[in-house]
Amino acid sequence: MISLSHVSKSYFLGEEEVKAVSDISIEIKQKEYLSILGTSGSGKSTLMYLIGLLETPTTGKITLDGKDVSKLSDDTLSSLRNRYIGFVFQSFNLINKFTVMENVLLPTRYVKKGLDFNPVSRTEDLLKRFGIWERRNFFPNKISGGQQQRVAIARALIMKPEIILADEPTGNLDTKTGDEILDILEDLNKDFGVTVILVTHEKVVADRTKRKIYIKDGALAKKYL
Amino acid sequence: MKQFLTKTQVDDLTKAAVVDFRRNKVRTVLTSLGIMIGVMSVVMLIALGLGLKNYLKQQFENLGANLILVLPGSGFSGSGGGSFGAGLVGGVSFDERDTNNLARIPNVKYTVPVYFSNTTVEADGEEMFAYIMGVNEEMFSLMNSEILEGEVFGKSEVAARAKVAVLGGRAAENLFDQPEDAVGKTIRFENQRFKVIGVLEKTGDREQDNSVTIPYKTTFGSINPDKTFWSIYLGVEADRDIEEVKAKAEEVLLKRYNEDDFSVTEQSELLSTFNQIFNIVNGVLVAIGSISLLVGGIGIMNIMYASVTERTKEVGIRRAVGATRKDILMQFLTESVLLSVFGGVLGLVLATIIVLIVRFFFPAAINFLAIVITLAISSGIGIFFGVFPARRAAKLPPIEAIRYE
Repeated sequence: MISLSHVSKSYFLGEEEVKAVSDISIEIKQKEYLSILGTSGSGKSTLMYLIGLLETPTTGKITLDGKDVSKLSDDTLSSLRNRYIGFVFQSFNLINKFTVMENVLLPTRYVKKGLDFNPVSRTEDLLKRFGIWERRNFFPNKISGGQQQRVAIARALIMKPEIILADEPTGNLDTKTGDEILDILEDLNKDFGVTVILVTHEKVVADRTKRKIYIKDGALAKKYL
Repeated sequence: MKQFLTKTQVDDLTKAAVVDFRRNKVRTVLTSLGIMIGVMSVVMLIALGLGLKNYLKQQFENLGANLILVLPGSGFSGSGGGSFGAGLVGGVSFDERDTNNLARIPNVKYTVPVYFSNTTVEADGEEMFAYIMGVNEEMFSLMNSEILEGEVFGKSEVAARAKVAVLGGRAAENLFDQPEDAVGKTIRFENQRFKVIGVLEKTGDREQDNSVTIPYKTTFGSINPDKTFWSIYLGVEADRDIEEVKAKAEEVLLKRYNEDDFSVTEQSELLSTFNQIFNIVNGVLVAIGSISLLVGGIGIMNIMYASVTERTKEVGIRRAVGATRKDILMQFLTESVLLSVFGGVLGLVLATIIVLIVRFFFPAAINFLAIVITLAISSGIGIFFGVFPARRAAKLPPIEAIRYE
């Protein structure tokens, strides 16, 4: 469903060109459960943002369902992110002045063409499923890290996306809570057929997925480290 | 063409901004304060200017309708534009020859020489600052004066240089406990004693009400040794004669004076001159008031820039979940416009309250146009000063924004 062919991404730090991702070609199929494994600074996050359409490649081509997305307008890319992609971040990235409920509903505010579901009842379903319904009117800084990450996952799921991109989702959590979050992500893949892409530097985390992509110095590698 | 924003989107944006303001009450109020003060001062200045205009109009309406004023100086006619100052000072002084010449013009019903000065007048141990008017007996008919008590002087008293005085309503009140008691009493000014023979009803005109009117010939001693007049009032029979009499009067005076030394004008012209002056004064005042609006706008821009920086991460998150650049732009723009309009409405309410209080003393007025313009300007300021920070927010690269701590 998503394929990258010879994708590179470079930044300019002053005069110096830094190649964060260099010549990566991968194919991600529907309903896949995979991980991108690499050390910090390996370019794995940039790769994830490229897949998540938050970045456009410097060279190469990214196609989503056969469509080349490299040259799309900001409006179209935003709408694709809104419809197809859900992000889960290491630091949760909830908006602190919004309640749990408002955070989960946030993506529905950017729908341009109407929803095929009731956003409030879907939020209720998701929050109940993750056991945080009683926390719906709390602000993010009043609930635990594990609960915050569940809210973030609920937000990522509200638009019924096809892909969940999780960037070090367990990085700020203790092992037990982290495992619970990974269980949730695994269930999403198993029960609902959502494509889950896990970006991590921990081999144990990556080991839970069916497919692993190793990345080193911005390029694909045969194995970790 | 695609519609820019649907009503639901506007509702959503407004609701989101209001929710945000509620959670930042102090900052919201402080940010709006600048616009509030700006709008308040502009509205109040307009209201006071209008009040001043109304007040002047009232004053002029108290003068007779078919009145022609012969005044010293050139620029008082309203056509001169910038040189009206010359009419207030300088120019010639008129004398009895002028009065006699002007009186011979056909259709002139009244010819009143006007000697004018101000001085301290005392009576029964009371003192006041009053306007001394030296006129002839025709003045009272020309001004439609109403007598409260006693009588006014006539031709014979003028000819005899009688030391009699007619008091304006307020002058009589100030000098005597009961204005009605003034008749028959003595008042003193310029080392001379005058017998009060009459008191006039109050007219609402400050000068008339505070005046002491005496026969002009009586001034011809130590008060007015040059035997000159500040002005000559002409009363004409009918409206339609005004233009002709004016032309004739100019012709008569040109035989003795230069064109620049005098002016012949009628009340409505004078009113339009004053209106011109006050429009300029008003414009200047509003311009000064607008500076505070500008400062308020810059205040909003400042806060919005700070807000964009503070909320960089929020922008990144919103972009990640599907907000377009336009969504972000509109979000920040809505906030600055609402802040500005909120301040504008608050300023308008305060100005209205103040003007309502001022109305007890002064005919200040708020007009609807001023309100509409003020609100339009304050939302305009919100857009203008909001667009720069909003654009900065919209242009933030999502990745950098989301990583921002």
